Amino acid sequence: MATEFTGEHLLPGQLGYFFVIISFVASLFSAFSYLRAAQTETVDPFGSKSWLRMGRGGFITHTVAIVSIFVALYYVIANHLFEYHYAWSHSSLDLPGKYLLSCFWEGQEGSFMLWMFWHSILGLVVMRTAKSLETRTMTIIAMVQVILGTMLLGIHFGPDIKVGSTPFLLLRHAMQGAPIFSMPNYMSFVKDGNGLNVSLQNYWMVIHPPVLFLGFALSLIPFAYCIAALWKGDYITFLKPTIAWTLVCGAILGTGIMMGGRWAYESLNFGGYWAWDPVENASLVPWLTLIAGLHTLLIYRSTGRALTITFIFLTLSQLLVWYSTFLTRTGILGKTSVHAFTGDGQALYYHLLIVLGILLAITVWMLALRWRKLPRIGSEEATLSREFWMFIGSAVIFISAVMIIFSTSQPVWAPLAKMITGKEPAPPIDVMKHYNDTQVWIAIVIGILAGATMYMKYKKTEAALLWRRIAVVAVISGAMTFTIGYLQHIDAWQYALMLFSACFSIVASIAYGISVQKTRIKNLGPVIGHLGFAMSLLGILLSSFNKHVISFNTTGIDFGFEKGSEEANMKESRENEILFLGTKVAMGDYFATYTGDSSTQGKDKRVYYKVKFERLDSVSHKATETFMLYPDAFINPKGNESGLSANPDTKHYLTHDVYTFINSATDKSKSDTSTYKSHIMHNPGDTIYLDNGFMTFDGFSKEVNDKRYEPVAGDIAVTAKLTVHDMTGGIQHLSPIYIVRNKEYATRIEDTIKSMDLYTRLENIIVKSQDSAFAEIMVRQTNPKDDYIVLKALVFPYINVLWGGVIVMVLGFFVSLGKLLGSKTKTRVSADLFPEDETDMPANVALGERPPVK
Amino acid sequence: MKKTHIALLVLVVVAISVISATFLDFSTYETFGSASKVPGKAFHVIGFFDKGKGISYDPKVDPNQFTFYATDKSGVQRKVVFVNGAPPRDIDKSEQLVMKGYVKGDAFYCNGIQMKCPSKYKKDMTIGESS
Repeated sequence: MATEFTGEHLLPGQLGYFFVIISFVASLFSAFSYLRAAQTETVDPFGSKSWLRMGRGGFITHTVAIVSIFVALYYVIANHLFEYHYAWSHSSLDLPGKYLLSCFWEGQEGSFMLWMFWHSILGLVVMRTAKSLETRTMTIIAMVQVILGTMLLGIHFGPDIKVGSTPFLLLRHAMQGAPIFSMPNYMSFVKDGNGLNVSLQNYWMVIHPPVLFLGFALSLIPFAYCIAALWKGDYITFLKPTIAWTLVCGAILGTGIMMGGRWAYESLNFGGYWAWDPVENASLVPWLTLIAGLHTLLIYRSTGRALTITFIFLTLSQLLVWYSTFLTRTGILGKTSVHAFTGDGQALYYHLLIVLGILLAITVWMLALRWRKLPRIGSEEATLSREFWMFIGSAVIFISAVMIIFSTSQPVWAPLAKMITGKEPAPPIDVMKHYNDTQVWIAIVIGILAGATMYMKYKKTEAALLWRRIAVVAVISGAMTFTIGYLQHIDAWQYALMLFSACFSIVASIAYGISVQKTRIKNLGPVIGHLGFAMSLLGILLSSFNKHVISFNTTGIDFGFEKGSEEANMKESRENEILFLGTKVAMGDYFATYTGDSSTQGKDKRVYYKVKFERLDSVSHKATETFMLYPDAFINPKGNESGLSANPDTKHYLTHDVYTFINSATDKSKSDTSTYKSHIMHNPGDTIYLDNGFMTFDGFSKEVNDKRYEPVAGDIAVTAKLTVHDMTGGIQHLSPIYIVRNKEYATRIEDTIKSMDLYTRLENIIVKSQDSAFAEIMVRQTNPKDDYIVLKALVFPYINVLWGGVIVMVLGFFVSLGKLLGSKTKTRVSADLFPEDETDMPANVALGERPPVK
Repeated sequence: MKKTHIALLVLVVVAISVISATFLDFSTYETFGSASKVPGKAFHVIGFFDKGKGISYDPKVDPNQFTFYATDKSGVQRKVVFVNGAPPRDIDKSEQLVMKGYVKGDAFYCNGIQMKCPSKYKKDMTIGESS
């Protein structure tokens, strides 16, 4: 007989699961109806219409159901219903309200839900805008929703096979067999949840996942349009919406990826924004492929070429999103990634492989079906034409994607390599170097192409004018490269080349925007996009090449240049410095002093460490600049007995960032061995020296205003007035109280300054005469040798160039989109579609009119 | 043959040769025994943290170094010197360690550790049983 459990709230879960089923069935219904509508479009227009209406109804129902699932799960989390496994494992009572949303994406079910949610919203937009392609695109979108829906089902077939997992699983079902669940009142023992991973408790983690998943979801739409175009054999109608959706996806996915970088920079302590971690690579690669596809799509629009490769790139982008999900969610990366999600084991592994197989099969089938009939142009393009070099650029971007995904997939191909070589392959020892060594060449080529290709025209470019312009750009950017390279000591030649490439691209974009496009904003989309990309390259180069650890002077190790032996390499990585309380330590241009930790613990048990940074004038040795940094850490986060979980703090300058984080700190609850010491104060003005300042005795007072003291009739209460001067010149007051109650016994109330670990007690009042008395003050201070932090501090120069570059690039996507959506002309495949391409520009104002440079 | 095809072919050849060249970057998983045959060369070694011997870390002496003992898959135990900072969180709870480093003398010097930690289920199963 089933046990009756008390204290559970089953309704939200039942409702939630009900909506899971509804959304699944509705998407299935919608996909089938849309499929029928597409199939009967030409043979039975009337029947097709009714199928279409059913498909729409199904999809709208599906969307409503998804939103309802969200609401139900939010209710469960926000109300701390720990009888649900999801709430219990991802949240806790002390979790600040602003991070409640982060609980959604910590777990796998929540992220799939988020993904489905975006698909359904985008689906509604496609439904309203796709017109003649609606039936086909929506068939694909609804079908993907069916597939994603299975991820939330949580249905068991027999003892071994489980399809999906529901976010509304009860704790007692998730952990069957645990003795606690044999008690009907088990809920009265489950007081609190397991809590959210502390590294996710960061505001970037509230917005980064939704944006990233919106980017992933957006890549479905170009995929759906490509499949629809192939299916219908119509290669014109899909063009404009596909360009538009690809632009939006490029912007959002790019933003999402860099937000992840920003989160890593601010909240993870590997010391940077990009570590070539598999999880990062897996989101970058679909973006690269998409950008390659966007460029070939533009070639197709203007010249009719490169259609086949466009279909391949854009469909591959969506397939790579799924492949990424496979890599990051199944635990296959286990050994290689710092933040690989815990896998849900074999069930998800095969589930995702099947999904990938289905999508790949559809793509290959559609391409194979139309392969022979796809429009191609027999003639050759001119060597000096925009389409030729844009095509080369796209191919190079794609090759970059292939290289990155090949290395990232190391755990996937490892078994094969083991069969061949007999050794079990492992990731590279120096991962950063492995990727940087190859990708720097990609960056060089892409930078030059992104700059130069803008000056070319479709079909045919006038060679003399082109070379004159490029020569001018090259000279200006050469001078810029030399200046920056000299000032920033970029002394490795491949990175000097990369610097030139980035400068070339920046100069080329600006010059092109001003002299050729006349700064007409609506035409500037591509220019702004390329400018932003080039700025990002420059920012990456400057911030990474000259990133240096100031807590233990080392330079230039980030690019992993060989230092000879492994031993020498490792010595370079000794980057932590110990800071004892109050002791000044030199760090680069600064002196750093640890001045104490936050006395009050926040709701979330975070401890902030106060570190004072001073920059000293080299001549006068006076501090020219002083600032405080507050890196924080969770000491012994829930369920973990050892170590801490740290968040960095950063001082932002326009030109560089000083970035610090705690690697180790004293656990005060364990290490405090200090005792009280007695000091006799004879006269007002007497001084007690402290470890980190001094304290003066100002005399006694009978005016006691202390909340902790409740006067009783007959009390004699006296305080000792103490003034504390800390090392930074700060002044604080202490008033320990001595009370004689009923003339019989004395009680004492201590006064403390937690930030200085200073405890004072007025132990005794020794009366000497009518109007003079000594005070015995007991002082306890934590031994400064017991109070220390282990800190790592880095300087990232010019990192704002990177963040700025990303913002400019995203802006470029949207300007392009604005122009595309604003144009009234019907999009055709034609060379005449780019009126902005200099055609209305008098030749004599072109850049080439400047005196030729020898 | 079209120009684009030639260009593509060249790019593919370059890409394949670059990938093959960087293939040498990939390390191998070894045991303490096989890693000690080439002292000074870095490998990946999979091992298990010895809970009995614990961690020794004294930042007052050296904030960048801590030592512990690990047993590799073949059952050989070695002292591991981590030279790159403070002990990571939960290392003493890990089920498995992937250590990146080289053998020198009796010790394994490493500057990178990947930890595989027990899943949340197990951790809380013990809590459930004790309450």
